[in-house]
Amino acid sequence: MQERDLPSLLVFIITAGLPATLLLSVVGLGMGFLIGVALALIRVYAEEDISLLAQAYENLFRGVPVLVLMLLFLVSTGWPAFFSAGLALGLRSGAYQSQIVRGAILSVSESQMIAAYSIGMNRMQTARHIVLPQAFRLALPGWSNEYAVVTKDTAWAGAIGVLDMVKASDYLVFEDPVLFLPAILAITLIYFVLTYPITRYAGEVMSKRLRSLGLGGDY
Amino acid sequence: MSIVLDVRDVWKSYGELQVLKGVTFSVGEKEVKVVFGPSGSGKSTLLRCINMLDPPDKGEVLLKGQSLMEDGVNLTMMRARIGMVFQQFNLFSHLKALDNVTIGPQRVLGLEREEAVDRAHVAIEQVQMTDWIDHYPAQLSGGQQQRIGIARALAMDPDVVLFDEPTSALDPELIGEVLQVMLDIAQAGTTMIVVTHEMGFARAVANEMLFIDDGIIVETGTPKHFFTAPENERVRQFLHRLEVLYGGQESVEQ
Amino acid sequence: MVGSGDMHNLMPLQYGIVSYIDELAQAFLVTLELYFVGLVLGFIMGLTFAIMRQFGGRVLSRIATGYIEVIRGTPLITQVLLVYAIPVAINAAGIADLPLNWYFYYIDSQNRIAVTLNWPILASMLGLGINSAAYQAEYMRGGFASITSGQLRAASSIGMTRWQSIRYIILPQGLRRSIPAWSNEAAYLPKYTVVAIWVGVMEILNMSKTVIARTFLSVEMYLILAIIFFVFITAINKVLEITHSRTKIPGV
Repeated sequence: MQERDLPSLLVFIITAGLPATLLLSVVGLGMGFLIGVALALIRVYAEEDISLLAQAYENLFRGVPVLVLMLLFLVSTGWPAFFSAGLALGLRSGAYQSQIVRGAILSVSESQMIAAYSIGMNRMQTARHIVLPQAFRLALPGWSNEYAVVTKDTAWAGAIGVLDMVKASDYLVFEDPVLFLPAILAITLIYFVLTYPITRYAGEVMSKRLRSLGLGGDY
Repeated sequence: MSIVLDVRDVWKSYGELQVLKGVTFSVGEKEVKVVFGPSGSGKSTLLRCINMLDPPDKGEVLLKGQSLMEDGVNLTMMRARIGMVFQQFNLFSHLKALDNVTIGPQRVLGLEREEAVDRAHVAIEQVQMTDWIDHYPAQLSGGQQQRIGIARALAMDPDVVLFDEPTSALDPELIGEVLQVMLDIAQAGTTMIVVTHEMGFARAVANEMLFIDDGIIVETGTPKHFFTAPENERVRQFLHRLEVLYGGQESVEQ
Repeated sequence: MVGSGDMHNLMPLQYGIVSYIDELAQAFLVTLELYFVGLVLGFIMGLTFAIMRQFGGRVLSRIATGYIEVIRGTPLITQVLLVYAIPVAINAAGIADLPLNWYFYYIDSQNRIAVTLNWPILASMLGLGINSAAYQAEYMRGGFASITSGQLRAASSIGMTRWQSIRYIILPQGLRRSIPAWSNEAAYLPKYTVVAIWVGVMEILNMSKTVIARTFLSVEMYLILAIIFFVFITAINKVLEITHSRTKIPGV
């Protein structure tokens, strides 16, 4: 993999490195989604001591660099680097997604819950049919942000040996800096193309639509 | 006439504040009771105590002879039989008007979708909102939202419907359409308890009016009694203030 | 436990990691250095961009918006690599001969050289600052935007210029209001200092790897490292919390 000219280097970065970036992003977000929703539900609805455990999980995974998590999983599980990286990204994203979902749940207006109780819904039904459908919509801007965070943070996986885009080129930093410069610029641009349209869409179009539906608190 | 709802000596306090101090009254089938009185007198609390959204500290609430305060009573199923219409409408913002009305019959009563939709159509027809069923709450005016709120309660086919100041959050020009709907369903035989200051509505359909002040029922009687010869001085003062505020009692045309 | 497991019997913990405590402490100082310089640099640049974006007029506000969105849309790693590689590539291409081999150091208690600043460290600081600035700018802008336009009109009614009302009315309130959101960034950044390992800086993670190479106690070392970061970040959060409660304006 000692590519020496820019076109073949770019082809190598995209064919060899981009799949790992995308796959890690999907794995991290997906695992983070399941963990995040579960933690958020626990923190809102469960008994206090269980809720404290969920909170401890969040603080723990928010307080350690994701690269250190990757390294820790790599050396302690003996799994291939890709799985360790995916596990670290997913467990950590779960801590952040929990906060996103919890914030969304808490911003569904109390008066709608009372109305649900008044037509005979129980707590379960109210959560399932009234609160969560709204919370999931309200969480969309936060999720798009988290998608960008996870996608960008897949770049750390290169440091534990996963062949991602950065890893596909970083051997050139010291060997051939003149070739490395356009390569790392191109990688930066690819990340931008992956993240910006989605966060922009979510930030502006989606937020506006949510507001026009009157979602998010009392109106 | 059979008794639908029986409220016996209900007490409720929030911390130090004693809001209800022994309220007793009952509602018969197809009766309309109008509850009125100064703000902070406990009217809204009384409604929340009746459907146990805020259970009373003491006393008894019976729905068709069945106590709501006994241990082991299925509160959610009892609440399904007591409709509630809110001052702020409290519609579900993520659901279209139709689904705001079907969700109760579907999820609580366990009806099939088609059945629930049929039932919702009847209720929506009653509040004259048939043209608006595909709109989200945020796309409706306050008066339209409140009519959907009424349809949501009616679709459950409740034994009694509680109205908590249903028009007081509305712009003046929207009050009429909601009161008209309330008159229609009252005349159709719906059992209702209405907290309101709309004396025209009370005069038109109330079987009995209850004046509440400071957590107790001060005076009861027919509309005719209240508008000709109220006994209590506080009632006279209150009715006089309403008259000054709203310029006469007829804020709705019968 | 793979690869390093057998070595545990030969080298018990107390003769392992503990004997490198000085080196680890030195490396942690470099981590602290990266953090504080990155944060302060990010603050100065972020404040500039926030003011440009909110009050800068069409052109300046577009520039600031573009900067913030590009930086937030791309990974810190490629940003640091770019900063590091640009002068290196300029030298390698023969365009100029930029001095990159200087370093500042002190002599530690065991008579060894401890580097405090060289090009890789400086490039990492710049990268962290450039990155953090975009996030800090957004938090500050949120704080500025929450100040009512009535106060600005009042300021101009007593004859303040635009710059004066920004300086004396908006900034003092806006910065205080952005402290809670800004705290997120301050607690976020320590974790991202490990980016410097990419350009060979001997910060705490790089030193940990060196220790592992000598002791083979990889799980233990990384666990200790995780605890160090966790305690560090928890401490930062506590300090920020106390600062926030002391700088609150009554009724705001």
